[in-house]
Amino acid sequence: MTSAVPGRLASLAASPAPEKEVTIYIGGVHASAEPAVVKTLLGSCISVCLFDPVRLVGGMNHFMLPRGAGSSGTDPDGTRFGVHAMDSLIGALMKLGADRRRFVAKFFGGAHVLNMKESATAVPQQNISFIREFLQIEGFPILAEDVGGYHPRHVRFYTQSARAMVKRVDGPHARARLVSQEDRRSAQPPQYGDVTLFDP
Amino acid sequence: MPSTILIVDDSRTVRTMVRQALEADQHQVLEATDGVAALAALDTGPADLVITDVNMPEMDGLKLVRALRDRPAYRFIPILVLTTESGDEIKQRGREAGATGWLVKPFNPEHLRKTVQHVFRRRQS
Repeated sequence: MTSAVPGRLASLAASPAPEKEVTIYIGGVHASAEPAVVKTLLGSCISVCLFDPVRLVGGMNHFMLPRGAGSSGTDPDGTRFGVHAMDSLIGALMKLGADRRRFVAKFFGGAHVLNMKESATAVPQQNISFIREFLQIEGFPILAEDVGGYHPRHVRFYTQSARAMVKRVDGPHARARLVSQEDRRSAQPPQYGDVTLFDP
Repeated sequence: MPSTILIVDDSRTVRTMVRQALEADQHQVLEATDGVAALAALDTGPADLVITDVNMPEMDGLKLVRALRDRPAYRFIPILVLTTESGDEIKQRGREAGATGWLVKPFNPEHLRKTVQHVFRRRQS
């Protein structure tokens, strides 16, 4: 479990539970300017929570870097889709009035849920390395992170306080569900956005 | 034919990805972080094409398109919008603002390069 930002936001974290709860899955993004809890279950995937402490707008995504067919190393397409996941979250927050220059970040996930030995070339570690580099390049301060290990994580993110709660879960059901979801997702070819040219 | 292209996006990561795609065709690439910075950049040197994001601080992409179309020097240059926004309504707003085309992220670098080639060819014809 991680706590949020100090000061005046601490009282918000102790306020009654928000009514709205939203669950996101791989590829999902949810941002809110209203009190909401965004939930997800993570295996090797990453969820990033971004928060604007002035506008009290927050949101979370859930992504995994797709692997190119037969590729075990860093895949440029993977980076591209990780950037897209972040771009989508940033855009959703800015549409709600947030300012990216104030964003603070928390991120979670990147577990080796297949119980394989942790290694720099494995997908979970690639996900972790990607997001650390991305947040550094974009200049978003990292308030908290909980990554790696071998256990799936349930994450709850409170959009108006940046409070995040992480519970490591075990058991065959959660693990099997995650492995199935992630295998299905990674088997899909990356989907690019479309191109529209307007009449001159 | 190599041209000067201005990329407007608040994400340094995205600007780098777009730059790499365009430099493969020997284009000279300029960068700006939002609409205000883009207009300032164009005051110091011209561009043959502008590629802009939508959601940015200070001045968003659609306001930038309108501001450029109000400038005689940029009334007719190609302006491509490159964004995560994919809805028909906002695309229509982009078209009405004066955008030449709309590319939805995540983008395929090859598609971007071909689109840029296409709009330059269309302009010359």
